[in-house]
Amino acid sequence: MPRVSGVDIPVGKRVDVALTYIYGIGNVVAKQVLAELRIDPALRAKDLSDEQVSQLNQLIERKYVVEGQLRRQVMQNISRLKEIKCYRGFRHMRGLPCRGQRTRTNARTRKGPRKTVARKKSVKEL
Amino acid sequence: MSRSTKKGPYVDERLWTRVKRQKATNNREPIKTWRRACTIIPDFVGHTFAVHNGKTFIRVFVTEEMVGHKLGEFAATRIFRGHTTRKSTAPGEGA
Repeated sequence: MPRVSGVDIPVGKRVDVALTYIYGIGNVVAKQVLAELRIDPALRAKDLSDEQVSQLNQLIERKYVVEGQLRRQVMQNISRLKEIKCYRGFRHMRGLPCRGQRTRTNARTRKGPRKTVARKKSVKEL
Repeated sequence: MSRSTKKGPYVDERLWTRVKRQKATNNREPIKTWRRACTIIPDFVGHTFAVHNGKTFIRVFVTEEMVGHKLGEFAATRIFRGHTTRKSTAPGEGA
């Protein structure tokens, strides 16, 4: 199985899809890379020649930030926001959305599963 | 939605002149301001601002990393003190 960009071993899918298994490479970048190297995107990943694999490796390494390095970059950006104590930093610290979305309802991706609080007794029950 | 590059960053002119004046006199007193929307430019680094949060002025010492952010981002307008628990809420709930 071909290895592109370190740990990634994309499967027997079309190369343009297989490349998207790399963190930091999506549909668009995958197609651009293949176009630049004149590799047919419909080719299966297992049918890539060793030469093509090494070409892919080289190109991706040269032009894009992927995998661990990209993850580190993202973390650094977030910790920078936390360090300078700006609004977005606070939102990250609290695990709330930081782009102005509503939090009265929704925002479950950031807030995680619902934590139900017991309902206040209504007047009728008393 | 970010601001059009054509316009460049929004920097309040009067605030900027005050910073320049402080630079000339080497004065580092906090500058009181209501201009929360003003972008922090490299010129502001090392100066202290007292940014209005709607009620009081929050002191913001500008560091290099803050460049590109707005002054308002460092002066929170809301204070979240946690949700009230059931017991402490509803005064007269059982009455």
